[in-house]
Formats: sequence, structure tokens, C-alpha cells
Amino acid sequence: MDISTLLQSILNGFSSAGIYILVALGLTLVLSIMNIVQLAHGEIYMIGAYGVYYITTSLGLNFFLALVISTLLMGGLGIVLERLCFRPLRGQFDRAAIASIGLILILQNVVLSIAGGDPRSYMSPFTGVLKILGVAISWDRLSIVLFGFGLVAALFLFIRMTKTGQAMLAISQDRDGAALQGINIDRISMAAMFLGCALAAIAGALVGAIFSVSPTMGGFALMKGIAVIILGGLGSIPGAVVGGLIIGLIDGIMPILTTTHIAGLIGFGAIIIILLFRPQGISGHE
Amino acid sequence: MNKRILIWILSYGILTVFPFLIPLFITGPYVTHILILTVMNIILASSLRLINLSGQLSLAHGGMMTIGAYTSTLLVVKLGLSSWVALLLAGLLAAVIAGLVGFPFVRLKGIYFAIVTIFLTAMVTLMAQQWRSLTSGSYGIYNIPRPDPIVIPGILNITFTSSVNCYYLVLVIMLVSLIMLYAIEHSRIGLTFRGIQQSDSLAESVGVNTAGLKVLAFSIGCFFAGITGGFYSQYIMAIAPDTFGFLFTVYILIYMTVGGSGKFIGPILGAFILTILPEVMRPLKQFQPFFFAGVLMLVIFLMPEGIVGLPGRLKTIAGRLFKEQQERA
Repeated sequence: MDISTLLQSILNGFSSAGIYILVALGLTLVLSIMNIVQLAHGEIYMIGAYGVYYITTSLGLNFFLALVISTLLMGGLGIVLERLCFRPLRGQFDRAAIASIGLILILQNVVLSIAGGDPRSYMSPFTGVLKILGVAISWDRLSIVLFGFGLVAALFLFIRMTKTGQAMLAISQDRDGAALQGINIDRISMAAMFLGCALAAIAGALVGAIFSVSPTMGGFALMKGIAVIILGGLGSIPGAVVGGLIIGLIDGIMPILTTTHIAGLIGFGAIIIILLFRPQGISGHE
Repeated sequence: MNKRILIWILSYGILTVFPFLIPLFITGPYVTHILILTVMNIILASSLRLINLSGQLSLAHGGMMTIGAYTSTLLVVKLGLSSWVALLLAGLLAAVIAGLVGFPFVRLKGIYFAIVTIFLTAMVTLMAQQWRSLTSGSYGIYNIPRPDPIVIPGILNITFTSSVNCYYLVLVIMLVSLIMLYAIEHSRIGLTFRGIQQSDSLAESVGVNTAGLKVLAFSIGCFFAGITGGFYSQYIMAIAPDTFGFLFTVYILIYMTVGGSGKFIGPILGAFILTILPEVMRPLKQFQPFFFAGVLMLVIFLMPEGIVGLPGRLKTIAGRLFKEQQERA
């Protein structure tokens, strides 16, 4: 194994990490604000990718415009889901989780009956390679890294700087206390769903540009997203970033040492072992 | 009093005998297959409820079934053991593995426990794919023999080459499992499980070994999953690593919740209705998953206690209506 293979795999690890972090951030936002695990998050990710596919191929718009439209649409879908499905079940953990499984079935089959089961693909706007120190880095992978970490920084600033963001922080720390201070929990929940679904849609659209789009692509993203937030600690944004980096790098580097499947095994094993020593995750609290 | 006992025995007797009579009226390989699946799902959902009784939401059933299926298959195919011994060992191995991983797992509460059990299922599937020398990888194992015939010379000779006889077999397994689960639930241990479910810190403060009992509940539940997995591989005569994956496990959870995890009959009803209904709705073709999801959503939103809570709810609503009428009069 030479040094350029290693660097290449590290970069692949970072680009996987970018996707995992985007998916995990949405999950963790919804979890900490609404106290439910939104298992249909992977389906939002998948529909976000299909949105870009249909807007670029049928309407002929350019990728970035399609990305923005699809992201906003998915955010809107998030608000609708919050109103219709998750608000009545807020605080009821098991029932909300099972309702979101019902949503998985519905959303997946809606897409299946509209788009069919064949994988689709669309062109990535990022083409060509960047050569640094003899290592060829493809722009589409690099774009995921940039997008991912850019959005993390933006979300971080949003939570630190804006009133809505501070309200989100307050709710995640103490729901009743926040409500007593006059924070409208219903409105903040809608904002959290909007942001979470928008982030998932962006992740899906970026992945769709590199690989392909299929109705079952959401399951993988959901598994990885859950692994990341568990590893990082439920409801913690820095934790999601650290967890995403760890799992992304394991997924990037392990395959060159063993096979892809064994890499997956090591990833799950690592999470179980870390949880045994820190049951609340890397930076979570009880 | 005597009359009540008689009615009790009669009603349960009919309920027990009735499933045995179904193949006399409805025949055909398709119907038999659905019946077998229904009975399997009843065992699975009921055993999942035992784990749930101790306050844990387990998604390890798929993994445990895979373990059971491969154990029984390999013991029969590679070692030539009797299929009955293999079936029992399949359940026991699942229980032992659940006991071993249980000790670290039960320290995790709520969603964390559910998640590590999902990962366990995923890891078992990956291992079955990777350990090619033993499991022949993703190809799976074919031509697994059906259960050995039960022969008592001169009196009895039951073979399991027909799937109707497999249905009778799984029905017997179900009855035995349900009786065992019922007995466990109504024993002292079962009551302690309930205590842990309601408040594990309170249970611990009065001297209950909560960790040990949680592991026990997990292990017993997984025993039945192992047996069912072993049976399925013998019935279908093939096994592949992803036969019982994540989705399969989630469906068991759905059966339990839709039926209602509060009562013993809940998972039985849930598994029965949700396995039969989609088959009846086959003519809907591609809209069938919507139907399933629709039933699921309806129950989740309108019946917080599941289907078993329906009579109580109707009674409350009827009572309210009656009261309103009285007040108006």
C-alpha cells in the first residue's frame, strides 16, 4: 500500500463523513427538540435525491437550482410531517418510532410506484480532478467534504447567533423550562423538522450525483446516521461531527486493509464497544 | 363456579383445536405457507413481548433467528445430528449468545439498547455473509432436510415431507411456547419483570437484581427466536444470511405494538391480523404496502393500547354517549 492510496482512502473517508454528518445532524436535531427518533429520515434523503433527478432531467434546470428547490420542498415536507404525524405523538417514544416506520413504508412505495425500482443517475456538476502532491482528488468527492463541513459551520452559527437557534438549544436542555420562558415549542419543532429534512435532502442530492438514486438508498443512510448520533451522544451537534468523522474514516480506511463487509463489521463492533464504556456516547449527557 | 370453569375449558379448548382443523377445510400450498408464517409470527411477537415486559425494546430477533437457522442447519448438514436435537440446540445457542451479549447491553437504557440490538442483527447478517467456509456466504445453504420423521414402530409414523405436517409441527411449537411464556409471565419472575418495567431504580432499591433479570428476559425471548429460525430453515429447506434482516425484525415489533403489548393476547392478535390481512389484500397489487402502512398508522394514532385496547375504548365512548343522552333527558 503506497502513500497515495492511503491519502485517497482518507479523502474517501472524509467525504463519507460529510454525508453521515449531514444525515446525523438532522436526526439529532429532531431527536433533541421533539424527543422522537425519526426513522423515515432516510426516506427524506432518498426523495431529496429523486427531487434533484426529476428537476434536472425533466425541467432541465441546472444542478444548483435543483438542489435549492429540492431542499426547500423537503423542508416543507418535514413541516407537514411534523404537523400531521409527529406533533400528536410528541413525547411518546415507541409510538412515534413505529409511526415513522409506517412513513418509511408509505414514502418508499410512493417513490417506487412513481419512479420504478431501477436506479437512476444524474450528472454531477463537479467534474475533473484536483492534483495535490501527486494525489488525484476528484472534485465531486471534495465537494461533499466542503458542503458537509460548510453546512455544519452554518448550523453551528445559526444555533449560536440566532434567537431560533438559542430557543432550540434551550428546548433540548430543558423542555418545560423553555416553555415557561415563553418559547413556542410547536414553532421550534417545525423549524427543527424543516432544518433536519433540508439537511437530509442535501446529503441525498450530493450522494445521488456520485452514485445513483434508488428507492431503497435511504436504509443505508439511516443506519449510518443512527450509528453516528449514538456514537457521538444523542442530541449533541459536536458529538455528531466527531462520530461522523470516526465512522466515515473507518469506512474509508478499513476497506483497503480488509474487505468492505469486514469494515462494516468493525464499524458496528467499534460502536458497541465504545457504548459499553461510555453508555451516553462520546459527548452526550444522560 | 363449576359452570365458569367448564366454559373456560371449553372456549380455550375450541381455540386450541380450531387451528388444527383449518387444513381440513382450506388446502393448497399457498394457504399452508401463509398459515405457517402466521403461527411463526405469533411465536416471535409473543416472545418479543416477554423482553418488552422487562422494559427493553429489542430488535435482535432477526439476528437470533439467523443464528438459530444456521446452527440447526449446520448441525444437521455437517454433523448429521437429529433435526430435533439441532432445533433445541439452535434455541439454546441463541439464548446463550443473548445471555453473553446481554450483560454489557442491559447497562444501556431505552433507545440505546434498541440500537445496539439492531447492530447485533446487522453484525450477525454480515458474519453469515463473511464466514464463507462455514456458511457458504451470500449463496446460502440449500437442500436442508425437513425435520426427521417421528416413528413409534407399529403405532405412529409422522413424516414432514408435506407442508401441512410442518404446519401442525409449528402449531405444536407455538402452543408449547405460548404456555411457557404465559407461565413465565404469571410466575414470580414475571411479576418482577413488570416491576422492572415500571421503575427499574425502585425495583433495584428493594433488592431486585435488575441487570440479571433483564438479561434473563432477553435470553428467554431470544431462545424462542432461535427455535423459530431453526424451524423456518428446516421448513423452507434453505437459508441465506439476509433472510431475517432489519425489516423482518421491525415487522415483529409492529405486530407486537399494533396488537398491543399490554396484554398477553395482544401480540397474538397483532401477528394474526397483520399477517393475514396483507394476503387478503393481494388484489390491491402495488397498493398493498399502503394498506399495511395505513392500518399501522390508524392503530398508532387512534388506539394507544393497540387492538386489545379497542373494546375498552369503545366501552368508554359508548358510556360517554349514554351519559350525554341521560343528561339531555
